[in-house]
Amino acid sequence: MPDKSNVAQLRPRAVEAVVGGSSASRFIDIAGVEKSFAQRGGGAVSVLTNIDLTIAENEFVSLVGRSGCGKTTLLNIIAGLENATQGAVSIAGRPVTGPGQGQGVVFQQHALFPWLTARDNVAFGFRKAGLTKAQRREQAMDLLKLVGLEHAAARYPREMSGGMQQRVSIARALALDPQILLMDEPFGALDELTRIELQQELLRIWEARRKTVVFVTHSISEALTLSDRIVLLAPNPGRIKQVYEVDIPRPRTRTHPRFNALYEEIWSDLSS
Amino acid sequence: MSTARRLASSNAALGIIGTLAAVALWEICARTGVIDPALFPSPSLAIREAAGRLTMDTVADNLMWSLMRVFSGFALGAIAGAAIGIAAGWYRGFGTIVRPIIELLRPIPPLAWIPLAIIWFGLGEPSKFFIIFLGAFFPVVTAAYQGMRSIDPVLLRAAQTMGLSGLPLLLRVAVPAAAPDLATGVRIGWGLSFGVLVAAELVAADRGLGYMIINERNTGGSVGVIIVGILLIGALNLLTDAALGLAIKRWIGRWHGA
Amino acid sequence: MRRALANAVAPAAAILVLLVAWELGVRYGFLKPYQFPPVSRIARGFVELSTIGFPTGVSIWSHTLITVARVLQGYVAALALAIPLGLVIGAVPVLDKLTAPLVVFCRSVATLSLLPLVIVWFGAGELTKVFLIGYGCFWVMLSNVIAGVRYVDPMLLRAASTFSVKGLELFTRVILPAALPRIFAGARMALGVGFMVIVGAEMIGTIEGLGALIMEARTFYRSEITIIGMLIIGLIGFAITSGLGLLERYLLPWAANLDQVRR
Repeated sequence: MPDKSNVAQLRPRAVEAVVGGSSASRFIDIAGVEKSFAQRGGGAVSVLTNIDLTIAENEFVSLVGRSGCGKTTLLNIIAGLENATQGAVSIAGRPVTGPGQGQGVVFQQHALFPWLTARDNVAFGFRKAGLTKAQRREQAMDLLKLVGLEHAAARYPREMSGGMQQRVSIARALALDPQILLMDEPFGALDELTRIELQQELLRIWEARRKTVVFVTHSISEALTLSDRIVLLAPNPGRIKQVYEVDIPRPRTRTHPRFNALYEEIWSDLSS
Repeated sequence: MSTARRLASSNAALGIIGTLAAVALWEICARTGVIDPALFPSPSLAIREAAGRLTMDTVADNLMWSLMRVFSGFALGAIAGAAIGIAAGWYRGFGTIVRPIIELLRPIPPLAWIPLAIIWFGLGEPSKFFIIFLGAFFPVVTAAYQGMRSIDPVLLRAAQTMGLSGLPLLLRVAVPAAAPDLATGVRIGWGLSFGVLVAAELVAADRGLGYMIINERNTGGSVGVIIVGILLIGALNLLTDAALGLAIKRWIGRWHGA
Repeated sequence: MRRALANAVAPAAAILVLLVAWELGVRYGFLKPYQFPPVSRIARGFVELSTIGFPTGVSIWSHTLITVARVLQGYVAALALAIPLGLVIGAVPVLDKLTAPLVVFCRSVATLSLLPLVIVWFGAGELTKVFLIGYGCFWVMLSNVIAGVRYVDPMLLRAASTFSVKGLELFTRVILPAALPRIFAGARMALGVGFMVIVGAEMIGTIEGLGALIMEARTFYRSEITIIGMLIIGLIGFAITSGLGLLERYLLPWAANLDQVRR
């Protein structure tokens, strides 16, 4: 039975999103998801329990929590890369049965194919679109322009910086024209300045292309900069501890009073 | 920088100087009788002797035979090794069956297979082909398997999110990812095939460079011919390995890091 | 748990199936017994080899001993020459550049192709075989020692210089230890090469030694003895690689995966 005891602590719009609402607001429907692994000596390790969450279309949601809280596992389940032991995830009403159903994924390590140039990596995402090779390359160039990397189209991944690699990864994920974009700590391996740059870039793309984004991060300030809602997960076992509505108008700066207030709130909930 | 200084730091120049010095030393030792010229003729003498006893045609003929043998044996061995290694790495069940058998046979040096090859295939070409095949097969199958097992799983996951699975996933993503390791194996396999070729031709052949040398010895011919033959084989090995290295660099070196 | 058990049983099972198929194949006439001697014949052959010997008087143990002795002699001689020489050449960059093409070329010469030449020099006796093994081992070892010394991580050298370590002390306390993994790798490779060379070298002009055994056996249509010889050669090869691997891990525990990370 899903645990709704913490519903009372949630903010109004979030409650509606959890309990039910219009179909657009239930674009991604995560119902009663649990995940556990069998252990060597017998018994099971529970990685996720009682995950109930709905995400509206074009919403930007972050999953935050310390390591071991299962946020990557949850993302993988939404992506169809892993199966839930119990419960189900559906996107626009259709259940998720595997990867490649229209979920674009950006991993923490760039996962670009080292034997392809930036352009060919992005063009790879257009494989199923039924286009000719020339058309695929052209569309790839458009996406590279979107992420500001058309000048590096002919470079191989090893010839690019970390920031450039992640931009190409995002472009490649967008090539699928995905309904949702799933991002697993995509900026985690980058330096501070590049990270801030890419955060702004991501927001720009999100506003231009209007996608639903589920973003995993361990950085509270990153989540606050980017998201409409923040889902805080707690470990042992992984469960939703709290959901926060980020009602700060964009573009957001750290100097906004609500920013710090929310930060403190999330931080204290994280540490308790 | 003075010319002497510049010369001293140039790798190519020093290499050439060193080699020339060694050859000159050899020549001098042979001429002054420090080494018995009947046993170890100077370079000039060796070449003269060889020119006297062999025609360009015989050399070319033997050379072609050797090259044909090694190319065909190597090609099949490398292809078979790659196919089996990739399959063993990708399909767990197949790997569990095939790996133990290969691991059991791998420590046996290809040359040790010569008598068995003769038992199975007789004294003709097929037995030599088989040995050379083995020389290439084992390094390549091992490298292919290792390459498949050490593919970064995130690449496969990324490809899956783009809708790939099954055979296309294997061919379009897994194999290119394993290519660098495979290439190293192929290079090692070539070196081994070549060495095996020479030995096989020494032991049981009637054509080829290896045969050319041992025949010279058996018919009490000149040592110079033997030496020229040895040097020819060595040069051939070096050239082919360099060519292979360059080809690999061109295909893989562009995108592969270390 | 089940996975680990499966992994241990599967190899044995696969080989067992192979052996059974072999035996049945010969029994039912699919395979010729000369080309695929049945396991029973191989077993009997092994008993004969251990007692009476083949050729008569030379048991399998003698053959093995002779082969191993030849390899060890050539191997030790090669190492004794290659290590000091390699250290010197590696330490003096100019020397390395002068000798590099020569070393590469001599290493590319197929060792067994020297057999006719060496027979002219030393006849068909023991020295010939030991010399050939020594040749093969020497160049492989030499290149690896040189490379080990030359390609020490420059970061280590820079760190050492901050402690004012230079000259001979730098060599013995920093360069040498850093080069050890590569040198060990060279020693492993060289032994492998030596082993391969002896098998070939013993196939011509001798009747003692494992290589000679498998060749002789063929001439007398004793294919099962050939197979036994091959398996023993394989076993020795396997023992050598594992043994050296263990030794290396024991002596250089800190270098665990270093040579997989380096060139």
